[in-house]
Amino acid sequence: MKKVSLRASFALFMAFMMIVGLVVYVVRYIQHGEEWALYFDASTSGCEYTLTDRNGTVLAKMGGGGKYYAEDANIRTACYQLVGDYVGNVGTGALQSFQKQLSGFSLITGIEEREDVTLKLTVDADLNLKAYEALNGRSGAVIMCNYRTGEILCMVSSPSIDPMNPPETLPDGAYINRCISSTFVPGSVFKLVTLTAAIENIDDVYHRSFSCSGSLNVKGVNINCTGVHGEQTIEQALANSCNCAFGQIALELGPDIIAEYAGKLGITQQLKLDDITTAAGNYDKDSSMSAAMAWSGIGQYNDLVSPYAMMRLVSAIANGGTVVEPSLLGVSDTKTELVSADTAQKVASMMNYNVVYKYGSSTFPGLNISAKTGTAEVGDGKPSHGWFVGFLNDEQHPYAFAVLVENGGSGLRAAGAVANTVLQAAVK
Amino acid sequence: MSGVIVSLISYILPLFALIVLIRCMRSMLSSKSQTEIWGYIHKDEGVALINHWENLIGRSRSADICLPYDTVSRVHAVLIRSPKGVWRIFDIFSKGGVWVNGDKVQSTGSVVKDGDVLNLAGNSVRFRDISEKQRDAIEARRTMSWKKVHPAVTLMFLSIFQALLLIENCVNAESEYLAGIGLGFVLLILLEWFCYFAMRSIRRTGFEVETIAFFLSSIGLSIIASSVPEEMIRQMIIVFAGVVLFFVLGWWLRDLDRTKKLRLPLAVLSLLVLAAVLVLAESQYGAKNWIEIAGISIQPSEFVKVAFIYVGAATLDRLFSTRNLIAFISFSALCVIFLALSSDFGTALIFFVTFLVISFMRSGSIATVALAVTGAGMAGFLMLRIKTHVAQRFAAWGHVWEDVYDTGYQQTHAMSAGASGGLFGKGAGNGWLKGTFAGNTDTVFGVMCEELGLIIAICAVLAILALTFFAVRNSGHGRSAYYSIAACATASMFMVQVALNVFGSVDILPFTGVTFPFVSRGGTSVLACWMLLAFIKAGDTRKGASFVVKPPDAKSRRKKEAEA
Repeated sequence: MKKVSLRASFALFMAFMMIVGLVVYVVRYIQHGEEWALYFDASTSGCEYTLTDRNGTVLAKMGGGGKYYAEDANIRTACYQLVGDYVGNVGTGALQSFQKQLSGFSLITGIEEREDVTLKLTVDADLNLKAYEALNGRSGAVIMCNYRTGEILCMVSSPSIDPMNPPETLPDGAYINRCISSTFVPGSVFKLVTLTAAIENIDDVYHRSFSCSGSLNVKGVNINCTGVHGEQTIEQALANSCNCAFGQIALELGPDIIAEYAGKLGITQQLKLDDITTAAGNYDKDSSMSAAMAWSGIGQYNDLVSPYAMMRLVSAIANGGTVVEPSLLGVSDTKTELVSADTAQKVASMMNYNVVYKYGSSTFPGLNISAKTGTAEVGDGKPSHGWFVGFLNDEQHPYAFAVLVENGGSGLRAAGAVANTVLQAAVK
Repeated sequence: MSGVIVSLISYILPLFALIVLIRCMRSMLSSKSQTEIWGYIHKDEGVALINHWENLIGRSRSADICLPYDTVSRVHAVLIRSPKGVWRIFDIFSKGGVWVNGDKVQSTGSVVKDGDVLNLAGNSVRFRDISEKQRDAIEARRTMSWKKVHPAVTLMFLSIFQALLLIENCVNAESEYLAGIGLGFVLLILLEWFCYFAMRSIRRTGFEVETIAFFLSSIGLSIIASSVPEEMIRQMIIVFAGVVLFFVLGWWLRDLDRTKKLRLPLAVLSLLVLAAVLVLAESQYGAKNWIEIAGISIQPSEFVKVAFIYVGAATLDRLFSTRNLIAFISFSALCVIFLALSSDFGTALIFFVTFLVISFMRSGSIATVALAVTGAGMAGFLMLRIKTHVAQRFAAWGHVWEDVYDTGYQQTHAMSAGASGGLFGKGAGNGWLKGTFAGNTDTVFGVMCEELGLIIAICAVLAILALTFFAVRNSGHGRSAYYSIAACATASMFMVQVALNVFGSVDILPFTGVTFPFVSRGGTSVLACWMLLAFIKAGDTRKGASFVVKPPDAKSRRKKEAEA
């Protein structure tokens, strides 16, 4: 019998494994319980809530056993990536990201069933609709915020779908919010990063003359410019978006400094929009000081950036170098200093110079605007991505924005026009 | 108002669950060794106690009666007392041989009487039996420290737990089901007190094993009330039938001789039943394991689980014979193959692990290696046979969140609902997981977590572990190896089921869809669980504890009482 008793320890070993299993489960519960609980629960339990835009327009409503979206099909489509759906197809949608605010969870009490919760987003659904219509079927992203308060007023990603009547074949990337979850070649909008680095690292940058003969030869490779700009000041070089000038500046700064600024200014960081993690951009250091290095300072080479990060950068410039961290939930109280007030002021005034002397104020009737265009070459013989980023110098309407039209061609013509439409609607 | 009641009860319930569980555990595990004495061996150095009905004699330290002489084999002989009090000695392939009063012992064994001289490879010892009177005296002195935890008080806490569950369920139930739910819980409380007093009336005071089973049953009943309230009465009838079967099997197990006689017929019957299932059964959700008889659908493999342990456990004399082991391996292999052919993957796995446990307990460490190989071969066959089925489950394992509406459906919903209950749950009847496919069976752990909270769900798992510790603790004190092996094998079978059910539904193990003992909704499975419980009850040799164990003084006491 002693032998049998010794052999019974086999069962104890199994019991030990069971306890290990329970511990594993409890640890996972502590780590992921919230994520798990909120995945299905709000949509299956008796939670009742309403999600509205800043004017009270209903974007989504759950309760009484039903799940609803906005009444207007166009608004449903224009706000699809912002709101997400009840199935969870858009991972960053408000219905998924703000489950905590909508239904509540704690590890001790589990899901808190609250009735009549209303969550008001900062976005204006009508602005979203204007922006989506302005994109007119082209793929792209429009994002705009109040740089004094951080409130995001407009966030649109195209192509989109109507969650109540989804098409049989899904448009490419309709489940992705391009504003925050995608990165694109920035092209000349990246020059704002190179410029910021130059102002702070090249002492006589304001006294230099940058010459452009239409192309810049770097170790036997030609960097082509958009035109022959001759001798320019730094202001003129930015307004001309002169590749020769910025290629030279990039080579002078070197990859380390540019990478440092790309990180500091949020381009290559994973950022947080409330609880949503945004896609980090990219800047590859090319230490060979070749043409690739020069291109990397002009927003080509392997550079990538999300529209959200661009908007955040220009709203910092507009707000004296300190960004009021954008939010979809209300006035934000988190602030981050990206650059000094002095540098911000210098960059801001040059961006205003761009519009006045290059883009033409008449393109933006009635708006006092500072901006930078970008026409990013994407290769494969496809049309360039058009970018337009900037802000209004208007205390009544302190709006910063980033617009991207994929394969839209010229930044000013494609993205600038979309920006104008949205801004005109916003200041009305 | 009702909301306040439910949330208040939600916070109190885990407390009562913990009290019941801790009291049962203390009662089962706190007592000191309770070994009985059945005789003596007089050696040159002194007297060795015979503590069991089955005793291994040999040079090995792990022998029950250790004879540390060079000529004695490590395992030399087995000394066995029959239920009627007749002692026999068997030579288990020793080098030196065994003689009783000078006569060589044959393979069939020889009868040993009080005062006989046993000669083991030239070393003589004297065997002394014990008279009924002496046994009475010894038995009276046996400690009863475990009685410090009074079973009636534990049962009272359990009844309060059940009453609170009933209130919670009633608050959340629809009015048409109130009567059924109320009646179900009241019947359960009556049944457990009836059992308790029935045991008291025959002077049996061990009630922890039953209390644990009733504790798990009340959780199961609560889930029935929440998910299919119209089945409350049906489920209560099943529990009642289960309890009856528990007593019947327990009573049957009292007599080791008749128990042993039924092993072969039961083995044959089991194989016939499994073969019949293969031919007759309806395929349900991929597994072909249901048979409908007279309008009642039953799952015969559940009953075969009981038979498997009944057949698999063995007495000490058979533990050292390879022939017996091979017979058991063949029986197991056939069982698993039949189950595999019916695509009943979960049950096949349960059988396989139980097979490993039984064969390890029967054979010891060395042979297990060979057995595991046999086992692996069986498992390999299993996998090939139902490849697509298994491959799919393994593919989803660890990736359930990648496909929440198909292969990961049950797991992700169970995890989500389970987590949403927090530590105290949303209240019985308040969840949504119960409404999903197989919510009250395969993913019942999720329903427990969601409605009753993580604490109670963990208590349910710990309750099964408590049974295991109890069975292991008793295994050294059992009268026969048969009871010890059966009890440990049963505990292991319960654990495998719980592991597959719980860890399968939360994606720690592949999802197989087996039931949680006593808790998952089901007819046959609940009946089988109660029957299996009788094996654990049979291992309990504490004084006057288990009705399955005949008190040694039963006859003489009856005689005394008659005289008085």
